[in-house]
Amino acid sequence: MFQKVLIANRGEIALRVIRACNELGIRTLAVYSEADVDSLHVQLADEAICIGAAPSLESYLKIDRIMSAAEIGDVDAIHPGYGFLAENPHFVEVCESCNIKFIGPSARAMQSMGDKNAARAAARKVGVPVTPGSDGIVETEDEAIKIAKKLGYPVMIKASAGGGGRGMRAAHNEPSLKSAFHSARHEAQKAFGNDQVYLEKLIVNPRHIEFQVMADSHGHIVHLGERDCSIQRRNQKVIEECPSAVMTPSLRKKMGNAAVKLAKSVGYENAGTIEFLVDQDRHFYFMEMNTRIQVEHTVTEEVYGCDLVKEQIRIAAGQPLSPHVARAQPRLHAIECRINAEDAANNFQATPGRIDFYYAPGGRGVRIDSHVYTGYTVPPYYDSLIAKIITIGSTRINAIDRMRRALDEYYITGIKTTVPFHAAMMRNGDFRDGNYDTGLIDRLMSAGKLNLSTRPLRLHE
Amino acid sequence: MKKHDLSVFEIEKEGFRLKLQRGASASQPTVAAPAASGSPAKGAVAGAEPPPAAKAIESVPMKEIVSPMVGTFYRAASPDAPAFVEVGKPVTEDTVVCIIEAMKVMNEIKAETSGVIAEVLADNGKPVQFGQALFRVR
Repeated sequence: MFQKVLIANRGEIALRVIRACNELGIRTLAVYSEADVDSLHVQLADEAICIGAAPSLESYLKIDRIMSAAEIGDVDAIHPGYGFLAENPHFVEVCESCNIKFIGPSARAMQSMGDKNAARAAARKVGVPVTPGSDGIVETEDEAIKIAKKLGYPVMIKASAGGGGRGMRAAHNEPSLKSAFHSARHEAQKAFGNDQVYLEKLIVNPRHIEFQVMADSHGHIVHLGERDCSIQRRNQKVIEECPSAVMTPSLRKKMGNAAVKLAKSVGYENAGTIEFLVDQDRHFYFMEMNTRIQVEHTVTEEVYGCDLVKEQIRIAAGQPLSPHVARAQPRLHAIECRINAEDAANNFQATPGRIDFYYAPGGRGVRIDSHVYTGYTVPPYYDSLIAKIITIGSTRINAIDRMRRALDEYYITGIKTTVPFHAAMMRNGDFRDGNYDTGLIDRLMSAGKLNLSTRPLRLHE
Repeated sequence: MKKHDLSVFEIEKEGFRLKLQRGASASQPTVAAPAASGSPAKGAVAGAEPPPAAKAIESVPMKEIVSPMVGTFYRAASPDAPAFVEVGKPVTEDTVVCIIEAMKVMNEIKAETSGVIAEVLADNGKPVQFGQALFRVR
């Protein structure tokens, strides 16, 4: 087992990894930017090294400084969290050449799944259904038009180097396809340094259902069921649940087997997530694979009774899959709400700044993963996630009502947060019925159907 | 000052030094703006210019040379070589003041300011982090 691990991340996931390391008796080294000097994870790590100025490009993305910190900190392994360098094969290679274990898949496996278009090809190769689309990269506008005609509109133009809901443009007819094709390429070049795009049939109002896989270094791969992440705003997940309200045991078996087969075919190791789109007829299509631990890993942990981050560390240290993970069965229902420093009443505008008062809910079946505290200043340089609240219930409705109860106790002042938005969602009929797709939020917001008022608590400040 | 019959008074605190001296035209002490410490910029931050020597009272602003990277700090090019700089050594922008070793690469760090080394703040052979103060320069 490792003696010391460097956490190459910040915020709630850095805290998550430090907690896992702490419980395993592993020493931790945090690296941080000048904006994160007062961050909780920096305080809780055994050691901390400042690696640069606030902007991510000058700190959390600086491979040389992170490796330097790893060297002087004499660490055995690096956990990349999610985002930043978590899906950067070059970073994995640098770790390998420095004899420091990267807690995640190999550079090769990461590379083969990181290229979204190549991942589709890998899925097709093992007979996993993929969203109907182009056979590969679409080079010209004429090609795009031809393919779109064959697929039938609407279509989605997607950046091959994209991911996480970015670098995508929808087109509903030929004229809009032409402009979407060019702007998608331009945007992809700017955002990812790679303008290669492919086409997919746009599945109308799909459900986004993803499968968690866990693979050790001895060839053993299992799946830990699904998460339904269909509640999204502008292609960003906001609410996730496990299990999915539309899953059946036979569909879970089919999709789970497909996920494992695909992961196995690329020699995958450690934690990963296979994302599918499910249409209204319960046909599933492979969309993409995330070669890292995900934000919403928490709901799987609560339902399947395991610590996925600890398992990542164990696997990276060469241990075989833990029996309780390999044999895990789903029990209970879990929901996660992502609390962002955003003003839901103002088009979700980001609201960084000082948290004057922070009180988090508790009680039975409530889990909070958060790095913020009273007096903490949310910096403007990074993503706006300040907390994840997870509730567990014996049934889906119980989990929802527990979340409703807990959100009503969540008291954060000084900045605006999305707590009121989530509170409204827990009361929304479509959500409660489990009757939703990826278009729900945008529909509700544009129809003004969410009451975002809150009942203020009178707590001494 | 009169009361205690002091002719010279010096104070050094948080990046600036103040020196008071009694003389014919002595009346108000001139205090230079304190230099910002811990600045992320490579090299030192420029402080106010020291007043001309003819004035009876002078104050001396301090600047800091901070680390632009993460690594191990070395005073000299090799264990048996003399240190690049010692206290009292004048430096210009291009003067190499130390080496920071990162990933087996020896990086020569330049002063990027001019003045005289007033204090060595980092320990030889010890790790330094980004933004850490290495030298004080006056």
